Amino acid sequence: MKVGIVGIGITEFKIHDEPFYNVAYRAAKKAMEDAEIERREIDSFILGGYDNLGVGRTISNMYVAPAAGGYLRHEIRVAEDAAFALPLAYMRVKSGLSDVAIVLGFGHSSETPVELVELQSLDPLFHRDLKLSLQMGYAMQSFVYRNTFNVSEEDTAKVVVKDRKNAAKNEYAFQKEKISEEEVISSDMAVYPLRKPEIAEWCDGCVAFILAEETTAKRINPEPIWIEGLGWTYDNYFMGTRDLSKLFATAKAAEMAYKMAKAKPSAIEAAEIMDLTSDYHFMILEALGFAEYGKAKELIDSDLPVNKSGGALCTNAYGSTGAFLLANLAFQLREGEIDKGIAQAMTGFAQNAAVAILAR
Amino acid sequence: MRRVAVVGVGQTKFRTRRDDKTHPELTYEAMNKALEHAGLDIKDIQAIAYGTMDPFDGIYLPERWDVTSGGIGKPFMKISTGGTTGMTTGLAAYEHVASGVFDIVMAVCTQRVGECVDAQPVLNTAVCPIYERYSGAGAISVAAIQATVHMHKYGTTEEDLAWVSVKDHKNALKNPNAHIKLDIGVEEVLNSPMVSSPLKLLECCPRSDGAVAVIFASEEVAKKIRDNPAWVIAETTISDDYYTGDRPDLSYWDTLAIAGRRLYRFAGVDDPKKDIDVAELYSPFTIQEVLELEALGFAKKGEGKDMAREGVTFVDGDMPTNPSGGVLCTNPIGATGLVRLAEASLQIMGEASNQIDNVEVSLAHAWGGTLQFHTLMLLSSKKKLKG
Amino acid sequence: MVLKFETKWEIPYVHSAGEHGTKFFEALKDKKIMGVKCPECGRVLVPPRAFCERCFVDTTDWVEVSDEGEVVTVTVTYIKFTGLPDPPYATGIVKLDGADTGMLCLLGGIDLSDWKKVHETFKPGAKVKAVWKEEREGKITDILYFEPVEK
Repeated sequence: MKVGIVGIGITEFKIHDEPFYNVAYRAAKKAMEDAEIERREIDSFILGGYDNLGVGRTISNMYVAPAAGGYLRHEIRVAEDAAFALPLAYMRVKSGLSDVAIVLGFGHSSETPVELVELQSLDPLFHRDLKLSLQMGYAMQSFVYRNTFNVSEEDTAKVVVKDRKNAAKNEYAFQKEKISEEEVISSDMAVYPLRKPEIAEWCDGCVAFILAEETTAKRINPEPIWIEGLGWTYDNYFMGTRDLSKLFATAKAAEMAYKMAKAKPSAIEAAEIMDLTSDYHFMILEALGFAEYGKAKELIDSDLPVNKSGGALCTNAYGSTGAFLLANLAFQLREGEIDKGIAQAMTGFAQNAAVAILAR
Repeated sequence: MRRVAVVGVGQTKFRTRRDDKTHPELTYEAMNKALEHAGLDIKDIQAIAYGTMDPFDGIYLPERWDVTSGGIGKPFMKISTGGTTGMTTGLAAYEHVASGVFDIVMAVCTQRVGECVDAQPVLNTAVCPIYERYSGAGAISVAAIQATVHMHKYGTTEEDLAWVSVKDHKNALKNPNAHIKLDIGVEEVLNSPMVSSPLKLLECCPRSDGAVAVIFASEEVAKKIRDNPAWVIAETTISDDYYTGDRPDLSYWDTLAIAGRRLYRFAGVDDPKKDIDVAELYSPFTIQEVLELEALGFAKKGEGKDMAREGVTFVDGDMPTNPSGGVLCTNPIGATGLVRLAEASLQIMGEASNQIDNVEVSLAHAWGGTLQFHTLMLLSSKKKLKG
Repeated sequence: MVLKFETKWEIPYVHSAGEHGTKFFEALKDKKIMGVKCPECGRVLVPPRAFCERCFVDTTDWVEVSDEGEVVTVTVTYIKFTGLPDPPYATGIVKLDGADTGMLCLLGGIDLSDWKKVHETFKPGAKVKAVWKEEREGKITDILYFEPVEK
């Protein structure tokens, strides 16, 4: 039995004036309209997105469950990026416990300083007093990556140029301003070696997917997007124990997803990846098996469409970035541009990853 | 549908503080106890569902640190749904196996409410910051307003509720993992300080530190692990609308009644009082056990108040509840639901510290939010209840 | 002996009220309590919200409800919790006349020292009315508390 995506709802990604639950409601409503089904036809509501501190409310699903349409229905919430909620929804449908499920990812960053919130994820004994920001963690990995594999700032600047160019054509993207290689290289240093345009900015936005088991899926939508492979895992919390030049979690999650999909990287026609920095763009592609370690910079001019959406560098909503990328991959499948694609998400200091392989 | 069973259970001792361990060390302790109970090695565990309610411990997203307790490189998923977290984490682990994607999966929940100097202000941050937070509403006041209405409508007395506390405290004395151990009678409960009227101190749960792990396995694997697994018969969760003021009748937990109906229909339970031998209910406050007994069909509306006083819910009664001592004596909030599931499983295995005779079917429950969520799971020594 | 470290979270938040909330809070300045009516089930929802969770439709019709209503339930807290109001304080739910949902609120205007007397005064169904702040600022605390209509 296969599990298919039969409806997609996506809101604008920007700094929203409305509270996150009202934006979430819009995404859920759009997904139901897209699938042409009613709230009551959905039996399971799987919520994704951040906990409590990110929105200043201790149990965020108290607000998001009703917004998703979960009144008197099955509800559960998976923490971290909403891309981590997709596997649970898949397994619930796959087990036969659910016929039609919704995954709602809420992304919200504009109510509070995300860096200060994320700082509280560091243990109070060894790390928190170091006042490490996410960007500092990213930069330490960039520094190691560039040094290990001789990657230049011209190479990484190209990623920003490419993502921005794609985002300009994506109606849902947040940062759409085009930029040249020279502009990237001459822009302000944010956290060495990362310059400002090389680090994703925060925004708000929500995404909803409606999933159904194979037979039901075909009734709802003659051309569902099939979930063929899923993988998710964590690397070590202590950065000192990790090989910072590689993304172990992404590689491991991809290995699981490829195995489930019985596919190899060569079968993948497009990728949507959570490049929170320009360096991560290369590191993710390497971990996904598209290039040898240190060689992804050579892919920049290849035929493989990577981040047609503009990627995380242009759209990064705290909690729904991975879901945004998944939706953009699904759009490419719907349009018939590709037959099989891969989406990747990660959070924190790239400690974890969720990977999905979708197909027509 | 693929059959799944609980094959191993591990709990740390629950105490006000566990100063001897860090967060992941507590997780590690519970995981190892469960592995030992199942006779398994961490290598055998294919995936992990991890649950906690972040703000209480003063660590946001503690899964990132706790994954070092044995989860690195494994599919590892964090669940967080308020008071139901423990149960939904167990449910997620169950779904990992039921889907056929995995054969052996562990649910583990860690919580250190004791590290939070005061839990009520954290609970207050659950309610809407623009409309409701100023009212001082926390978990205790939300339970208290249920009690007020139940007393008004059914004449439930302070003594009736005190008996629930006496029963849970008596049970906790038999449970080495339980947090609060007090040999008390009705008078002590009634004379304890008023917290939020009509609920008194001995009618309210403590703040506990500790961790719990439960291992789920597919049928083929479960049979190899132990000859007394606890089979998962049915599960359900339900979500209400957000605002507490929207609840149609606070004297009756109607969403739990709806969830119970769904669970019983799926499982083939005709008469819960007859078909279910023991229940581990999420009742951090005395009144809530009364409401749960009524909603789940163990008592008629308005009659749940009589059950503890008449001895029905004591271990030697017809419908024993919370033989572990329940949430009233041990509440590591985000882990509490999984403790219910663990204790309900042990009752099926015949290995509970306060074992009820001849248990064939047990029920585990948790609620969360401001009376918004419920999760239920039914377990049995038989693979299915009927036929 | 183990070491213990004291930490504290101080994280600022700016919560958006949204368009619906904004209308509600603006009206409070004029001592008016506004609700929204669901176009499908017809329930008048207070506090107002952008959508009806039950019918899953947008709510657009505004209605003013009374600042008087009935007590649904009450509790009086006698213990001090960090950051929460100084005891004793009475928290409850009041269903305003014209509304179909109750609203979490504070109750007061009477002696709160004896909980049994408070529960008698504010028993379910008892009539209460809002006591407004003199200088209102468009916040929920513009309603100081609800007091008995007949003292």
